[in-house]
Amino acid sequence: MQIPQDLIDTAKLKLKSVQSEAEFFQLRAQFLGKKAYVISAFATLKSLDPLAKVAAAKELNILKGSLNKIFEDALVNLQSEDDFTVLDTTLPADPYLVGSIHPITKVSQRVMDYFLPLNYQVFPGDEIETDYYNFEALNFPENHPARQMHDTFYLNSNAQSQHLLRTHTSNSQIHSMLREDLPLYMLSPGRVYRCDSDTTHLPMFTQIEGLVVDQDVTFGDLKGVIINFLEYFFEEKPEIRFRPSYFPFTEPSAEVDIKFGNNGWLEVLGCGMVHPNVLKGCNIDTKTYRGFAFGMGIERLAMLYYGVEDIRDFYSSNLDFLNQFSS
Amino acid sequence: MKVQYAYLKGYLSTDLSQAKLSDVFTEVGFECEVDGAMIDFDITPNRGDALSLRGLQREFDAHQSRTAKRKIPVTKLKFLKDKTVIDKVDQTGCGNYHLAMIKNIESLKNLDSKKQKFLLEAGVPLIHPLVDLGNYVMLELGTPMHIFDLDSLQLPINVLFKSENKTFQAIGGDYKNLEASTLTIQDQKGVQAIAGIIGGEKTAVLKKTTNIAIEAAFFIPHKIVNQARKYGLATDASHRFERGVDPEMQKTALARFIFLLKDIAHFDAIQCFEGESTTLKPKYINLNVQRFNNFSGLTLTSKRIKMLLENLNFDLAAAKKDNLKFKVPSHRFDIDLEEDLYEEILRCYGYDNIPVNSSKSGPIISNREFSNVAQLRSGLVFGGFQELIHIPFVSKKTFDSLNIHSRKPAELLNPINENEPMMRGSLFGSLFNAIYINAKKNYSTIKVFEEGNVFYKNENEFSQESHLSGIIYDHGGLQSWSAKTPIYDFYSLKADVLQLLKTIAVSKLKLIPTTSSKIFNSNSMDIFAGKKKIGIFGEIDLTVTQKMIKNTVFGFELYPEEINSNDTRVQLKPSSKFPSASRDINILISKEIKYSLIKSLLEKGRIKFLKQFILANTFDGAGIPDESISMTLRFIFQSPTKSLTESDINLSMNKAFQILQKSFKAEIRS
Repeated sequence: MQIPQDLIDTAKLKLKSVQSEAEFFQLRAQFLGKKAYVISAFATLKSLDPLAKVAAAKELNILKGSLNKIFEDALVNLQSEDDFTVLDTTLPADPYLVGSIHPITKVSQRVMDYFLPLNYQVFPGDEIETDYYNFEALNFPENHPARQMHDTFYLNSNAQSQHLLRTHTSNSQIHSMLREDLPLYMLSPGRVYRCDSDTTHLPMFTQIEGLVVDQDVTFGDLKGVIINFLEYFFEEKPEIRFRPSYFPFTEPSAEVDIKFGNNGWLEVLGCGMVHPNVLKGCNIDTKTYRGFAFGMGIERLAMLYYGVEDIRDFYSSNLDFLNQFSS
Repeated sequence: MKVQYAYLKGYLSTDLSQAKLSDVFTEVGFECEVDGAMIDFDITPNRGDALSLRGLQREFDAHQSRTAKRKIPVTKLKFLKDKTVIDKVDQTGCGNYHLAMIKNIESLKNLDSKKQKFLLEAGVPLIHPLVDLGNYVMLELGTPMHIFDLDSLQLPINVLFKSENKTFQAIGGDYKNLEASTLTIQDQKGVQAIAGIIGGEKTAVLKKTTNIAIEAAFFIPHKIVNQARKYGLATDASHRFERGVDPEMQKTALARFIFLLKDIAHFDAIQCFEGESTTLKPKYINLNVQRFNNFSGLTLTSKRIKMLLENLNFDLAAAKKDNLKFKVPSHRFDIDLEEDLYEEILRCYGYDNIPVNSSKSGPIISNREFSNVAQLRSGLVFGGFQELIHIPFVSKKTFDSLNIHSRKPAELLNPINENEPMMRGSLFGSLFNAIYINAKKNYSTIKVFEEGNVFYKNENEFSQESHLSGIIYDHGGLQSWSAKTPIYDFYSLKADVLQLLKTIAVSKLKLIPTTSSKIFNSNSMDIFAGKKKIGIFGEIDLTVTQKMIKNTVFGFELYPEEINSNDTRVQLKPSSKFPSASRDINILISKEIKYSLIKSLLEKGRIKFLKQFILANTFDGAGIPDESISMTLRFIFQSPTKSLTESDINLSMNKAFQILQKSFKAEIRS
């Protein structure tokens, strides 16, 4: 007996174009109904000799089983497809806007992320300040060049004390020492102003001030916290250099430079041991307490961290620039 | 200060390369950079003593532990006091005053080419061999000098603040109006120089000059500092006097000048005079070795400390165990305290050699102050807002247009841009500008926000208030293939604002329609926490933005400092185990009635088992009278103790309808 071998392929091909259950059952009848070959062929077996009969029956059964399986699977597929609409999931999403935190805020937060777990307390500071807190209490001599109109924005005021836009966040050192109990571990972020505007300077920039006043703090402690912070911040171990410098409110004073690979040294922050005149002015007993302070320019850190080349990009409202910080 | 490397190298007698030498000075606190054939020194304002070859040499020798004293070749001079030459010296402004007079100078040659090159490369122009020599000695020893044409002076000289002249002609020809606070050098004809800053045109050295008077003086730094700027005459001399020159160096400087003059000229008599001077007492500072070690974290011996300081010319005056007493050299104006000596020791020891300790923690803070700004910021970013930061200077026009409460501006006396002399009173000005800039760049849907202070002037002080403001601008930009375009309108903004405030748990939050605001039109609401206004949001009035933005924009302004979210611990209520039931009611009600009133009366109406109700639909189209609106209210009921029966629910629904009927004359539609 000759059994057609292409039945399975034909069934598969025809099933592909089936759209509804009605079409399916119609097709199924063609292949597995009473008049279908696999069913009617069983009737013709009688005429065969016993050996051939057994072989042919076996072959027909296998064919019938295969067809049954193909149709069962196709029915499951057909019915499940009826439960949902098949989508082109590669089409675009509904329109959405992505916001992001400003890179300067991001970098400030990154600095805070290091210090807050060390229990540094965030201390807000005023941007409009008096001459006293910005200069005098910080041990700036009366005629210090920084006090000139040349560097400092002054405000039109009828008050006795001279009002100005603070030139650094160091004013927070004084306010926090006068207000808080010791020991003091504080961090004060904020905006500061200088009469400066060119391609590398802006009249406003952002600083974070840090201050520790405690018993037994040493210059070695200051170095430790700064080195550790810089390694945390840059996620690598740059070469770090402490270089003697001068700030009226710290003694000794240092500037800190870092170096990545073969590039030159880059200044990243200023720091030092709090000047005894500053501590005394805040009624702190310098026999028991010592302090260290540091201040860093966030724009500088952000430029290094993100590879920003023009400082003016930060404050130009340019969404092409800012949208890149959404990740 | 720029110094030619080749010259400096010779002066310091060193073989160090330019880069290495630059590193050495940076290490000891004189930040410098290699600039062509020069080393550019950034000398901090406290170290005027280092603004000379001699000053740099001292630092270099200390760093290299060279203890041998260097000698400066000079001509021996004798100084006389003579009132007919130097008469009055006001010692509040002038510590000492010297004149060296040299007569019959002949065959004057230029300085040798090495010195000329050194001067030129340091930025000092060549003027006249005598002036050039004075400048050279200034760069060598740090003591500025001035050279008068002796024949044009009418002695004696007085050094005084007050003068009869009102104007003075400086070298170069400029006339300056003199102020009483300015110290001047006067002869019998009047002012001939502004002390420490510049000489006069009339007594300047000329080609034909053969007789000169060389001035070397110590002017008190803080009497000079404001003067040079005031007259717009910042000179190399004023730069040094402002920072302080060595008060013991004047005679040596004159002697050095005359010694070097011999190389370039013949001359006759030398006569030297000095005026009355203030004798400066040497300063002594005590240093305790143990205290120093506690301060620095080092363990240096007193011997080591003595050596390091002596290298810097601090001589040990007395020693008793750990207590050392040092004499401060006269050129070191900046040293007053024990801590100043610590810095000197550490500088020479090398900051980088100080051992590093691990980071110390502060005490645990139990009542940490909580700022909600960070949380608001992340809420906004999640809502698709981009954060912006702007410089807070604005024009008068911008300030006025956003000044709702007619407050006084905080004005700058010295603005960088004359058109922007005020501190902002609102963040909206810059935000409008940001929309304007970016809309031009084809951004047609923009959500931006800024956090920062706004500033006002009060009676005798200034106020700075924290604001958080945002803007939504939509010019139909977000198109989609699915036609599902997001809608930005008042109600979407209201959702944004409520969602945002929910994240910081504002207690007693209330929204009340705004009655007056210059910035917002009447489609706006004030945000209250109890009785305190914490913000406003709504549609920005077109008159505020019309010049810049043509489409409707929505905005909000929050006052984070006013928002009290300290009590954020949630008070939990038990949740019911019993099923809830919901019923809709469709009413016809006057359009005049605000929804907030309906809501409030229903909430206060003691409707039993009412868990929540929502406004499910409104309709005012066909079939609804003009003055009315149809509302579908959905009530959801639930009991904490039982399953509700149909009659429980009906009773409550009746109660609800009674309230609506009685208070608002509402009609049931279906």
